[in-house]
Amino acid sequence: MKKAKGQPSGTMKTLPTRIGIGAVAAAMVVYSFFPVYWMLISGLREYDALFSSISLVPGPFSIASYTQLLELTDYPTWFLNSVLVATGTVVITLALAIPISYAVTRLAIRFKVAIVGTMLYAYMFPPMLLAIPLYSIFVDIGVSDTLFSLCIAHTTITLPLGVWLLWGFFKQLPFDVEEAAMVDGCTRLRAFFHVVLPLSLPGIVTVAIFSFLLSWTDYTFALVMIGSDSLKTLPAGLDTISGWYELQWGELMAGSTLIALPLLVLFLFLSRYFIHGLASGALKG
Amino acid sequence: MHGDRSLYILFVLGCLLTGLLILYPAYYAVQLSFFDADSFISTPTWVGLENYKIVLTDPEFWAALMRGIVFAGTAIVLQIILGIGFALILDSAIPGKAFLRGITVLPYLLPTVIVALIFQWMLDDHIGVLTVLLQNLGFQEAATWANSPFWSMVLVILVSVWLWTPFVTVCFLAGLQSVPEEMYEAAKVDGASAWLRFWHITLPQLRPVLIVVLLLRAIWMFNKFDIVWLLTGGGPMQGTEHLPILAYRKAFDAFDVGIGATISTISFLILSVAILVFFWKFPIDEKS
Amino acid sequence: MGAAAGTAAVGLHAPYIHAKQKEIRFLNGEPSVQSVRAMRFAAAQYEKETGVKVQMDTVPAGKAFEKVQTSIKGGKPYDIATLIFVGDVLLLAGENQLVPLNDIIKKYDWGPNILFPMDGNNYWYPYDYNLCWINYRMDLYKKAGLKEPETWDELKQNMTALMGDGEDKTKQGIVHPIASSGATNYTSFGYLWANGVSLLDNDWNVILDDKENLSRTVEYLENFQSMVPMMPPGLAKAGWGILVGGIQNGQLSHCPGTGRLIDVINVKNSELASNLGIFPFPSPDGANVALNHGYDGWVVLDTAMSDEALRFMEWFSDEHLINFLHTSPVHYQPTRMDIYEDARWLSHPDIEKFSHITSWQKRFLTDENVIIKSIDTEGPYPDMRAGKIFRSYALPEMLQNKVLKGMPADECVKIAADKMREVIAS
Repeated sequence: MKKAKGQPSGTMKTLPTRIGIGAVAAAMVVYSFFPVYWMLISGLREYDALFSSISLVPGPFSIASYTQLLELTDYPTWFLNSVLVATGTVVITLALAIPISYAVTRLAIRFKVAIVGTMLYAYMFPPMLLAIPLYSIFVDIGVSDTLFSLCIAHTTITLPLGVWLLWGFFKQLPFDVEEAAMVDGCTRLRAFFHVVLPLSLPGIVTVAIFSFLLSWTDYTFALVMIGSDSLKTLPAGLDTISGWYELQWGELMAGSTLIALPLLVLFLFLSRYFIHGLASGALKG
Repeated sequence: MHGDRSLYILFVLGCLLTGLLILYPAYYAVQLSFFDADSFISTPTWVGLENYKIVLTDPEFWAALMRGIVFAGTAIVLQIILGIGFALILDSAIPGKAFLRGITVLPYLLPTVIVALIFQWMLDDHIGVLTVLLQNLGFQEAATWANSPFWSMVLVILVSVWLWTPFVTVCFLAGLQSVPEEMYEAAKVDGASAWLRFWHITLPQLRPVLIVVLLLRAIWMFNKFDIVWLLTGGGPMQGTEHLPILAYRKAFDAFDVGIGATISTISFLILSVAILVFFWKFPIDEKS
Repeated sequence: MGAAAGTAAVGLHAPYIHAKQKEIRFLNGEPSVQSVRAMRFAAAQYEKETGVKVQMDTVPAGKAFEKVQTSIKGGKPYDIATLIFVGDVLLLAGENQLVPLNDIIKKYDWGPNILFPMDGNNYWYPYDYNLCWINYRMDLYKKAGLKEPETWDELKQNMTALMGDGEDKTKQGIVHPIASSGATNYTSFGYLWANGVSLLDNDWNVILDDKENLSRTVEYLENFQSMVPMMPPGLAKAGWGILVGGIQNGQLSHCPGTGRLIDVINVKNSELASNLGIFPFPSPDGANVALNHGYDGWVVLDTAMSDEALRFMEWFSDEHLINFLHTSPVHYQPTRMDIYEDARWLSHPDIEKFSHITSWQKRFLTDENVIIKSIDTEGPYPDMRAGKIFRSYALPEMLQNKVLKGMPADECVKIAADKMREVIAS
């Protein structure tokens, strides 16, 4: 970690400067966090208070919105489905992205740039237009209306980014490391597993986090690929209930909190990898 | 070598799968633009390039294109300025850096649907915290943003900036870490001010990052459908309708799937050309 | 490409299929908790009685047609589906995707304007009228000594009398959305119909801007404009949420809506719900009243399970329809005249509680002075052109031009009429 720039060591910061810096920090926190804060306290505010007054301070406290939401909806089922699909997506994405990016950087394959560039094509069309033919393919091979098909659908979104990021990572790993291992008698495959993978862990974790995020938050594909109520994921479930008149802002904020919460928790644990990995990948990519 | 072959096989397999899953739907979308169809299940009739003629001479299309450029352009510029600013602050001697870094990235993690809901709630007519704030500050017109195409566009841009600036921040943060300390020291010895140091050292060093970030953000913002649709539905009076929304409206509201596909294809072509031009002017080398 | 592979797959599994349980796939468009429960209960009951499984999938009604298209395109069509636009029914029927329901339909006596036969066949089983009227606070009216308005001026006077600060007053009078949306199409044009305006003549010509209709539509626009000060700001994004929220929170003394509003409020605030009354949209002079037409129904698609699906529909229609209708008692206004006399329907406590509303509902169907119209049912016979006009949002744009842009009324009308012509021609 490089030494902090801009301050020759040993200089005392003056008081105005420190206040200035503090104010800037505080402003950044408010800017980034206020909407989330508002979501949190709105879900926990008593119904009448929610619609009659505005208060920056949380309370009067009430979990009525949460109980109403959980009672009336299939939230636990949706949650489980989202977890399954997101995890599956991560696994499939990694299983495909790693070999593809690795091969692209290590093997003599022509038109590498074209291949990677082609993957960006998936981002250029509206998801709805892509979802329908994709669904037909799934019907043809018999996996329609399954969580598995949704994993594959999500992979089409996560794969291009995953390949792009990992390409950057593998590119910066010098050949010598594997060469050394292979000279010592390892096959390329073993060299890959024992040497390359551990070194590129930050990049892999980054791709995993991204894939999880993209899958967890997808709505369009979930709407098209899944029909059965018991297989709905969170965004599709939220959409079903946002049309209800029975539920209003209190419950919607509670539902949003519940959807966002796992992401926030995940992030707390993996943020270092995420920031580092994303940056390195993009930097070298 | 041994390993080479299995690697090659995996690679080909991966590419084939990708081809099927990504290219086939794209092909389907493009070929739909040569037909006239009321819905996805209607029997389509071949019309050749007729749809393209209709779309390219329709003022609605050009207006939507302009709006898309305004939306994406403004959002990207703001994201980059803000993103670099945050990155600089996060890289400086500020207390609680780790915590700040986490908080700054927070918006990026939230699903678009939820962000749209939160902002709608904060801007609720009657009891929205931001609405009341705006009214108390005297910005009546902004408070009733839903009636104004201008303010609706402003809202959509600002929410997009809030959501996606962290991506830029993080990329630049990493870039900043890699700028050699010596360059700054040398400049300071020469008496260069902070601003000059930024302009002549930091920015040029970050050029590669800037290019990648610009490219990715451009593709994503131009095609962004969710956030605009959820906040304004393209309104009022088509004030925030850009190409993705126009395509959706044509395909699903106007019973004209062929035209919807045509608009999407044209949008895709525009992006492709823009990207080619981009790569031509800012080539990305094979080696970093 | 898919067909060949699909047929091969079916061929391989044919003997297996015979041994498998029969299954009907039903796309339900009513996602509220009670309605879903009723549908699942009916499915379970049917399976117990006949051994045929009924798989219930639920989506919001607005998304149902998209889902139907996807399911057909994907090769796994639903056997029964909810549709809420006659245009969608027509589209599917035109593509030979539907099975006629004539045998079931002719068993009953139906209300007016609710069956949409095509070429002499009935492809659609309507299960409710979704009429839009004006709800009002009966308790506030009583305290202020007001009576139900019969003219536009009386409505405005009532609203003004009830506006203000204080306990028995409301912040605003009413809200009518003007966004380009279904909500606007349903709730904002009742006054137009009451004033005797028609959009199309019997030859599918747009007549909104002919001499008679032009002056009446201008009248409607001027009246709408005069009501804007009594409406909340932000009309351009107002939707169903504001309607329900507004009257529930005491912000509004009136609001347009269907029975859904009352059912929903009844769940959370039974007392407020019993204070809600309704009246149809008045006309300038009190001669006519109008309601905006709305409807929901089911279609049976032409699939391998069509025969089973028809059997289920018939069973459901006799045994369970009333249970389903009870899940939103005021909103699901029956379409079959026999139900209004059926003791099973009448015996629900909410039907009794809201008898002041349900008696109005039956009158709407039988009184000749009541005009029931909607944009998507205009024209001499059911046709996709009306649906195209609905989805072009030409009339909401007319309101936006008047209210947001301040354009002269007759210009707004002409623009709307031209847009409708353009949309019909394509």
